[in-house]
Amino acid sequence: MIRRLLSGTIYFLSGIIGVLAFTYPFLLPTLNRLGAGSSSALSAAAHQSDAPLLTFIMLVLCLGVLLIEIQGQAVSAKVVAALGILVAITAVLRFLEVAIPGPGGFSLIFAPLIIAGYVFGARFGFLMGTMSMLVSALVTGNVGPWLPYQMFAAGWVGLSAGWLPRVAGSKRQIAMLAAFSFIWGLLFGAIMNLYFWPFISGADGLGWEPGIGIGESVRRYFGFYLATSVIWDLGRSFGNAVLIVVLGMPTVRALSRFRDRFEFKVT
Amino acid sequence: MKMAARAARYRGDSSRIWLMWTVIAAVIAVMARNPLYSLLVLIITRIVGHAFGGKPSESGLPLTRIAVVILLFSVIFNGLSVHVGSTILFRLPSNWPLLGGPITLEAAAFGFTSGMMLVTMLAVFAAFNRLVPSSELIRLMPRALRDLGIVILIAVTYVPETSRQLGRIREAQAIRGHQMRGLKDWRPIIIPLLIGGMERAMSVAESMVSRGYGATTSARQPAAIQLTLAAGLLMTLIGWFLTYWIGWLGYLLLSVGAAIIAVLFFQLGRGVPHTKYRTRGWVREDLIMLAASLVTLLVVLLPLPIVDRTTLTYIPYPSLHAPTLDPIIAAAATLSLLLPVLLLQGHGE
Repeated sequence: MIRRLLSGTIYFLSGIIGVLAFTYPFLLPTLNRLGAGSSSALSAAAHQSDAPLLTFIMLVLCLGVLLIEIQGQAVSAKVVAALGILVAITAVLRFLEVAIPGPGGFSLIFAPLIIAGYVFGARFGFLMGTMSMLVSALVTGNVGPWLPYQMFAAGWVGLSAGWLPRVAGSKRQIAMLAAFSFIWGLLFGAIMNLYFWPFISGADGLGWEPGIGIGESVRRYFGFYLATSVIWDLGRSFGNAVLIVVLGMPTVRALSRFRDRFEFKVT
Repeated sequence: MKMAARAARYRGDSSRIWLMWTVIAAVIAVMARNPLYSLLVLIITRIVGHAFGGKPSESGLPLTRIAVVILLFSVIFNGLSVHVGSTILFRLPSNWPLLGGPITLEAAAFGFTSGMMLVTMLAVFAAFNRLVPSSELIRLMPRALRDLGIVILIAVTYVPETSRQLGRIREAQAIRGHQMRGLKDWRPIIIPLLIGGMERAMSVAESMVSRGYGATTSARQPAAIQLTLAAGLLMTLIGWFLTYWIGWLGYLLLSVGAAIIAVLFFQLGRGVPHTKYRTRGWVREDLIMLAASLVTLLVVLLPLPIVDRTTLTYIPYPSLHAPTLDPIIAAAATLSLLLPVLLLQGHGE
């Protein structure tokens, strides 16, 4: 009981830190304004330079803690082996993607990630998202400060796929997964843009007018997203949905068969 | 003879030195919103990357092209969307959403500064990926994440095998007369690849269990460790918020939270039995690099009285003026980033 409570606390705190790490550029003008009244508060300019670094450190620590916690709960020999092989397959798909670029931000890795999360559950989906990003960055030489953000965002894709309801009928199932992957195609781009948003906009919103509120910051980001990224991300969304419609059903069936074999236990 | 003497000089682990080098370069790149510091780091990074790196990664676009796109984009975007500054270049109709208003030179200059930050960061990590091979990066995986380390090991080991398998399946289907015309024709390729992969996963899992994997240790963390991890996370989170109200207390809590998590990671890692093929101790050059890195980080991160940290942030508003450099920060950055050139002379020849 205590362990479950502690585990829940770790998931809850990790969730807050993950969301905060992406959305803090929207909060900074407000935080700076609220803090300005305190005599010991640092100036906004001092925070402008260290906010991305502090948030990055917090995100890396949080990712480490979360992985330790999930590792302690979800990992058996079969899970380790299945994850390893599926991650290898997504890494090869990322190689293919470099060789044969698709439209806009289209990527081959989201469809398998969503299907694996849906079939094997939320924890497996989260691990598959984080590990796929890590391994494909290692093998394609794309390690950088963006990696923890990519790992978190891809982890959320797999995690949320595990939360999808189990619907009856294969056509409805595929329609649901295709719609889900379409939404994530746009959402992934929108939240990954946030990683460099502080550098474009100025960490405390100085790039904009100082002192604007959360609502106004979000509205401006939305304008930026529509102007710069939405067409690129639509390529990813349509690509994901088409891949799931064409290859989704046989993949779900094949993985479900293996799920039954993986879950087999002698009692 | 001279070269032979030099080659024998460094016997340590060069990826350790490159890791410290990357930390300094990345911290300066992120902390300094000043085009002069960014340019300094960018130039040194390119020189060192070319001198020591192998072939650049073939995945993705060349850095120069990306840099031009980023700089153009950030200058145009910030220039058109921010209407602050005294040097007005021209005006757009005020009823245009987001873009309407005076277009100023200062906003364009701020866009250039932001673009330089991003370009510098990309250049630092492009150099890092050239300087440190991926096999060395895998070694950096914390030992506490032992099971996930095995996942990475299996994945990295099976990437070439999966790639070969993909080629074999395509050949086998081509012999049967299968032609690739549309997306649907990928089905007979992808599904056998997936099923073959999962069958291999079953046999890998069985061989792991037969060798005793998971038989002796419980993967589940004790409640005390979970409690400490949760406390560390909570302190980090509260500390992050507090930096905006009570600066010193926020930084203190954040540091203590981070230290708790780091120490626990180290302790958990120590408990994992492992064997080492080749131990790589710290040598003199590693310690020199460590000392230089610490000095540079202190100079950049701490409010020392001899250093003018305000030069790290260049804000061109309200009217454009030239950015300035602090000589101590610039000297520390230059010396520590060029230090590997001296320390690793002849290494790997």
